[in-house]
Amino acid sequence: MLTTPKYKVQICCGTMCYIMGGAELHLLIEALPAQLKDKVSIEGIPCFGKCDTNEKLHPCVLINGAELNNASTQKIIKQLLTLDNNDLL
Amino acid sequence: MTYYNNAVITKRELLVRLIKLLNNDTLLDEIDRIPLQMRPRTNSPIRCCVHKDRAVLKYKIMALLGFNIADEEDELTPLREYAEQALKGYTQNGNFLTVVDEACSSCVQVNYTVSNLCQGCEGRPCQVNCPKDAIMVINGKANIDHQKCVNCGICQKACPFHAIAYLPVPCEESCPVKAIRKNADGIEEINFDKCIHCGKCMTACPFGAISEKSQILNLFYNIKHQKEKTVAMVAPAILSQFKASAKQILSSIESIGFDAVIEVAEGANMTTDHETSELLERLEEGAPFMTTSCCPSYVQFSEKHAPELKPFISHTPSPMAYTAQLAKERYPEHKAVFIGPCLAKRSEAYQHPNIDYVITTEELGALFAALKIDLETVSPNAGISDNVRPESRGYAASGGVTNAIRSVLSAGLQISTELIDGIDKKSIRLLKALPAKKQHTTAFYEVMACDGGCINGPVNVSPLKVSQTKLKNAIREIEPAEALNE
Ligand code: SF4
Ligand code: SF4
Ligand code: FES
Repeated sequence: MLTTPKYKVQICCGTMCYIMGGAELHLLIEALPAQLKDKVSIEGIPCFGKCDTNEKLHPCVLINGAELNNASTQKIIKQLLTLDNNDLL
Repeated sequence: MTYYNNAVITKRELLVRLIKLLNNDTLLDEIDRIPLQMRPRTNSPIRCCVHKDRAVLKYKIMALLGFNIADEEDELTPLREYAEQALKGYTQNGNFLTVVDEACSSCVQVNYTVSNLCQGCEGRPCQVNCPKDAIMVINGKANIDHQKCVNCGICQKACPFHAIAYLPVPCEESCPVKAIRKNADGIEEINFDKCIHCGKCMTACPFGAISEKSQILNLFYNIKHQKEKTVAMVAPAILSQFKASAKQILSSIESIGFDAVIEVAEGANMTTDHETSELLERLEEGAPFMTTSCCPSYVQFSEKHAPELKPFISHTPSPMAYTAQLAKERYPEHKAVFIGPCLAKRSEAYQHPNIDYVITTEELGALFAALKIDLETVSPNAGISDNVRPESRGYAASGGVTNAIRSVLSAGLQISTELIDGIDKKSIRLLKALPAKKQHTTAFYEVMACDGGCINGPVNVSPLKVSQTKLKNAIREIEPAEALNE
């Protein structure tokens, strides 16, 4: 069964995010729990200007357009699960 | 081997900040502020207090400026002074690691510790069996006397409650050749008579206490102020490390300000041809086997730990060495800069008269980030030669050298090969046994100090799986037609 993904994860591929931990996020697809597997689309996007060294928000990710800063695989999954559980209510 | 942790990120952040300041011509004025900016009073400290955190950063910067921490004469010397010297040029001594002693010493002296699972039982098998009489029971709980303990681990095995835990010292545990040990002050020290510059301790230390002595600031200063002409020699592994096509990565490197760019894969073309004929000659003359010579950490390993292997290592120059030769022919006036994923290449280059700088994937990434070069938007410069075979880019992953050699062997010729993927305690035993072995079933050994090959080098930025995919793409980027016409 093919469902259209409900959640769009956009990973910043700008150099700053990429070297500050963003590279790891490109393995997200392998870490997704079964509950989320068919519901998520993942894509890389260019720098969107959040990468100031003083603010330290990198690596940055957008989930359905909302910013998630200092993203890690676990943080992304947690956020997706929260969204998904709310949607299931 | 790239572990994602905060210590790694701190190093990269320092690099980005330093390069940014240098690019804005404010390095000397602001370098001493970096520790304060990165560890403001308002944040909760990582170590005991904010001052300790800042001191650690100061020493990490000192290493990135190319200095040996142990050479510090006066604790009050500001970073500015070190930076001034660094911009003028470094005096390297052939050892490329330094232990940031402020950051280290956080690890245990004794590897065994009694946890609160201890029941203070009547049997006390830990105490009874300890050969050094190092265990005392105080207030119903066993205690290990650090002066007496010899780390034998008998107590741990003896305890029926599993109350005794093993605490590793990450750097010591990771070193395949026992080159790093505590000195009398409890600080780790690297013995360079043993060290093979594999970089494993550096990636293993969760405090980021082991640092490379970098050349990046001196190089970038000279590029920015056009003090000298430079040619970048880009290792194939670099093409697997950033989110962009190989052409874009090469063009982005040029846009930093290098006057020319050569792929080290061009040198690899030559290594393949030469090494293949050498292998065939040697086998003809009755040699039982031959190993590769392109991994400098492996070569150092044989020099320092297994001299009996030396005669079996190929004499063919590495792709980096051949590329340096090409660079000299094409650009005799230029300084040659090797860009790669490898710590050991720093020492190979140090011994090579025609290579002037080595910078790493991490440092290159920091340059891109600090200069805001977004690789995906860079339009590829067609002028960069891609006179390379797909197999030569393939050198970057384990099995690549073997594959390249097979590709030029005349059809029908069978050579048995074996891959030694990563230098660790197990493969060291195997390697050391090779020269004395009576029966040889393998004629050609490819030895890589990093498991996975250079794409898994210690100073890379992409995780291995991502690098593998990206390297395949980079190999595919070479049009088969071009490859045939070379
Ligand atoms: S891992 Fe080694 S270098 Fe790092 S803090 Fe511990 S003892 Fe020091
Ligand atoms: S670089 Fe490698 S050989 Fe040298 S001390 Fe570290 S782990 Fe040991
Ligand atoms: S690099 Fe990610 S926001 Fe700029």
